[in-house]
Amino acid sequence: MPDKSHVGRRYTAPGQRIAPESARAVAQAIAGEAAVREPDAVPPTFAAVYCLGPTLAKLFGDSEVGMDLAGLIHGEQSFEWPEPVRPGDVVDATAEITSVETRGGMTIVRLAMEAIRPADKAVVCRGTSLMIIRASA
Amino acid sequence: MSAPAASEVVVGDTVAPFSKRVTQEQINAYADASGDHNPIHLEPDFARSVGLPGTIAHGMLEMGILAEAIASWAGGNANLLSLSCRFSKPLLPGDTIICTGTVVSVDDSGVATLDVAASSDRGDRVLTNGRAIVRLSR
Repeated sequence: MPDKSHVGRRYTAPGQRIAPESARAVAQAIAGEAAVREPDAVPPTFAAVYCLGPTLAKLFGDSEVGMDLAGLIHGEQSFEWPEPVRPGDVVDATAEITSVETRGGMTIVRLAMEAIRPADKAVVCRGTSLMIIRASA
Repeated sequence: MSAPAASEVVVGDTVAPFSKRVTQEQINAYADASGDHNPIHLEPDFARSVGLPGTIAHGMLEMGILAEAIASWAGGNANLLSLSCRFSKPLLPGDTIICTGTVVSVDDSGVATLDVAASSDRGDRVLTNGRAIVRLSR
């Protein structure tokens, strides 16, 4: 189970390609036919796929931290997009554990994440996540 | 509907409520598209085994619909500069999500901040503490 000793751990997921077909599939799953209005746009929350998802996968694979996936809830999310990403871009995603708190039997893990496009060193996404691990029943 | 120009937007303006029914098929499509196959979104028996009423929509699908609502008001995806929210209550398949937004500030450079939220047609406050920053057209 995560504890304060894990604060500062960083997870890197380099080389995330913004696959056009994947961005389009997510846009259609979110917006349906409305997604065709901007066929070449990457939906903003596609950051879940190129930034949040791959770094979380690394965190979940960190057996020393031992995230309990069965009780895991995504509590809060923020994203900012300083520069737009485009289909075909490749970005490097990183995330860091910024705090771990235990409250009423729940463990609350905060993460900060970032995706950088190495081609022009642009930060295309910054975000924070709050993950809640409920006590096992 | 064309995006409002910065000169026309004032504090208190609201985004027309944006409603969308979310089906299990749409949740399945989002799981396939995003690669998030957590069984709480896909398998009713598993979802019930962890104390949920059944499968629930991905929080990021809900946030994606909220982003779509705010970005389309602002004239396109590139005009959404930031978005944050709390996933307060689950959205269940068959629910309609209703996204709303209210302008709380507009600065001289045409950047507006909105309080945003989403509720379900069953009255649950699904996404709360939401905040969006958008670039308005000049």
